[in-house]
Amino acid sequence: MQGQTDSLRVALIGNPNTGKSSLFNALTGLRQRVGNYSGVTVEKKIGKWELGNGQSVELIDLPGTYSLSAKSIDERIAVDVLSGRMEGQPAPDLVIVVVDVENLQRNLFLASQAAELDVPMVIALNCWDVAERKGLKIDCKLLEQRLGVPVVPTIANRRRGADELNTAVLEALQNRPKMIRPAWPVPVKASLDQLRTELVEKNGEALKDGELLRLLFDKNSAVRSRLKTPTEAVAAIAQSARENLRKGGYNPDAAESILRFRFLNPLLLDIIERQANLKKRSRSEGIDQILLHRFWGLCVFVGMMYVVFQSVYTWAGPFMGLIEGATGWLQGLASGALANTPVLQSLVVDGMIGGVGAFVVFLPQILILFLFIALLEETGYMARAAFLMDKLFQWCGLNGKSFVPLLSSYACAIPGIMATRTISDPKARMITILIAPLMSCSARLPVYLLLIGAFVEPLYGPAVAGAVLFAMHFVGALLAAPLAWLLNRTLNKGRAPHPFVMELPPYRVPRVESLLWRMYESGKDFVIRAGTVIFAMTVIIWALLYFPRPADIPLQVARENGVEIMEGLDGEPVKEDIVEQFERQIDAAYLEQSYMGRFGQFVQPVFAPAGYDWKITVGVLASFPAREVIISTLGITYALGGEVDEESKDLRDAFKNAKWESGPRMGEPVYNLAVALSIMVFFALCMQCGATLAVIAKELNWGWALSSFFGLTIIAWLAAVAVYQITIRLI
Amino acid sequence: MIYIETQSHSIMQLSQIKKDGNFRVTKVNADNESVACLMSLGLLPGQEVRLTHEAPFGDPIAVSFEGCHMSLRRCDAGEVEVEAV
Repeated sequence: MQGQTDSLRVALIGNPNTGKSSLFNALTGLRQRVGNYSGVTVEKKIGKWELGNGQSVELIDLPGTYSLSAKSIDERIAVDVLSGRMEGQPAPDLVIVVVDVENLQRNLFLASQAAELDVPMVIALNCWDVAERKGLKIDCKLLEQRLGVPVVPTIANRRRGADELNTAVLEALQNRPKMIRPAWPVPVKASLDQLRTELVEKNGEALKDGELLRLLFDKNSAVRSRLKTPTEAVAAIAQSARENLRKGGYNPDAAESILRFRFLNPLLLDIIERQANLKKRSRSEGIDQILLHRFWGLCVFVGMMYVVFQSVYTWAGPFMGLIEGATGWLQGLASGALANTPVLQSLVVDGMIGGVGAFVVFLPQILILFLFIALLEETGYMARAAFLMDKLFQWCGLNGKSFVPLLSSYACAIPGIMATRTISDPKARMITILIAPLMSCSARLPVYLLLIGAFVEPLYGPAVAGAVLFAMHFVGALLAAPLAWLLNRTLNKGRAPHPFVMELPPYRVPRVESLLWRMYESGKDFVIRAGTVIFAMTVIIWALLYFPRPADIPLQVARENGVEIMEGLDGEPVKEDIVEQFERQIDAAYLEQSYMGRFGQFVQPVFAPAGYDWKITVGVLASFPAREVIISTLGITYALGGEVDEESKDLRDAFKNAKWESGPRMGEPVYNLAVALSIMVFFALCMQCGATLAVIAKELNWGWALSSFFGLTIIAWLAAVAVYQITIRLI
Repeated sequence: MIYIETQSHSIMQLSQIKKDGNFRVTKVNADNESVACLMSLGLLPGQEVRLTHEAPFGDPIAVSFEGCHMSLRRCDAGEVEVEAV
C-alpha cells in the first residue's frame, strides 16, 4: 500500500509567464531536484509535494509551453510525459494546468489539448491578485461546472491557495475528473478513425486518441519518431489522413486552433466580468512606450547592458581577488606542510589548489551575471532586449536572444554559454555557444596588456596602444559573424527555421528568493560539473610541466653558473637574491626538460611560421587549460619566477633581450611587433580555456566541445601566421 | 451597397499596418510555423489586432491581441492578412 501511494505522480503544465515555476517552488520548497531529460537540454525538475496525512506525490514541472503541437523540444517533452512515453514512466496520475487569469482563453487552449491525452486534471487559476487589482472577476464555480474539473484560485508568488489546491488534488486523485473535450466534426473524426485503423489496429501501435490527434493536426509531429512503424510509413499514413481532412473542408494546419477556440469561446461566456474601472492601457504598456521606443528604447538598452557588463567586470573584481588570495594562502599552507615531499608539494600546491583556484575564480562573475539575467528575465525585460536586437542577428541565423549571452562572454565565456539556455531555438543556441569563446574575455586582457606595453606603446605611443587594445577586443567578434553565418548554412540544412515568435510579458517586480535561487543553481552547476573536468585537466598539465625532472639539473645549472655560486657557498654568507636567482634558473631548466618543454621544442616548427620560438610555444601549449597561465609560464622560462604579472618590467625586458638560440635567425631578437601581434591574435581566437571546453561539453556534448576546440585552434593558428607574415613584411 | 462598403476596407498584410487604428484578421497562412504558433494563441480570422511597436531597426514588430503582446518578424507577419476596423 505504502509503495503505491508513494508512486503517485502529478505533472504541472502551463504557458510561459504564468507563474508555474513559482507554484512549483511554493508546493515543493527545497525538496526538488533538477536533471535533464535524456538526450536533450531541457531541464527536468521534480519535487516532492507533501499533501498531508503522510501522503506525498512526485511533482513534475514540465517546461512552459503555449501548445502541445510538439514542434519544439519543450513541447515534445510535455506531450511525451503526459502520454506516458518518457523514459519508461507511465502517464502521470494527475495534471495541474496553471492558467493565467488574465489570459483565460489562450491558457485553456493548452488545457484543452492536454485533456485529449486522457489524464485527470485540476486547474490552478494563478495571478488571482493581479486580476482582482485590474478589476477582473472570474466565476470559478461556473467555470468548474462547465469544464468538469476543479478550478482553484492561487497566488503562487505569495504562496496563497496552496492549501485549497492541496485539497482539490487529494480529491481529484480519487475522483479522477477529466476536462470536457470538443465534439470533433465528421471530417476530423473520419481522419482520426483512419489513423486508428492504420496505426493501432493494423500495426499494433499503442496510441491513445490524443496522440493520434497530434499526428493528424501537427505537420511534423514528434509523435512520429517514437513509433515502431518506420518513419516514412507513418509519414505517409499521416499525410493521407491530413489530405482527407483537407478534402473534408478543413486545412489540417489551421483546423485545431479554429475548432478548439470555437469550442472554448462559448464555455467562457459570462465567466469573466470586467469592471468599469478597468483601464484601457496597462502599466506595462506605459513602460513599453519608453523601453521599446525606437530611439529612447535603444538608449536605455545600451545603458543597461553597459551597467551589466561593467558590473560583471568590476563587482566581481574584489571577490576574485579574495579567492585568489585564499588560493595563495592555501598554497602557502600546503607548501609548508608538504615541504619534505617535493613531488606531492608541487602536485597539491601548483596542480590541485592552483588548478581548482584557477576556475573557482570565475564563480563571482557567474553569480553576478546570473543575478542580472534572472533580473532581466523576471522583470520581463529580457524579451524586450531580444526584440530590440533581433534585426542585427537575423542575417546569420541567430536571433535577438543571442545578444545577452554574447555580450556576457566579453566578461567570461562560461557564464555566457550558460546564459544561452534562454535561447529557445536549438540551432541558434548551438551557434551562439560555438561562437561565444571568440568574444574577448577578461582573461585575455593581461596578455594584451603585457605585449602591447612591451612592443606597441614604446614604438607608437599610448594612442596607438589604446587603439590596438580596442581592436583586439573586436578581432574575435569580427570572425564570429561570418562563422555564425557559415554554421547556420551548414548545420541541419534541411531543418526549417525555428519560428521567432516571442511573448512580451507584462512587467513584474522580481522576487528576491527566486533571484537568489537562480544564482545558487547556476553556481552549483558550474562548480560541480565543470569543476571535475577542469580539475583533471589541470592536474594533467601540471604533470606534463613537472616530470620527468632529471636529478642532475641543479648540478648542471650550478656548473654553468659555477663560479659565483661556489664563492657564495665558500666564504661570505649566501646572498638571498643570488640563491633566488639560482633557484629560478633551476626551475627554468626543469621546465625546459619537462615533457611539456620537450614537446614544445618538438612542435616549435609548427609555430615557426607565426614567429614563435620554443619558449613561446611552451607558453602557448601550457596555457591551453587557462590562457592567463602564459604569463607565469613565460616568467618561469625566462627564469624570473612564476609570480610575474602583466605589469612586470623584468618580463618586458626579458622579451626585449630574448634572442634566437639556434636556427637560421640565431642571434636575432625573438620578439618584435609582428610576433607580439601574432601572439595576441592567437590568444584572441584560440579556445585556451579548459573551463569553457567543459561547459560546452555539458551544454552540447563532447563532440562539439572537441570540434570547437580543434576548429578554433586551427583558425587561431592560421590567423596568427597570417598576421605575422604580413606584419613582418611591413615593418 | 453593403458589398461595396466591405470592399472599401482594403485588405493588407499584418506587416504593413500602422500604429494608429485597429485591424481585424481576415486570413492566415497556417503553413508558416510562426503564424501557426500565433494561431494557437488565438490570432485567427475575426480576431482584432493592433500594432504596438516597431523595433529600432524596423524589424521585428510587436502586436497586441486578446491579452497577448507578441513579437514577430515582418516576414512572418506578411503571412497574415488584416482589414481596418
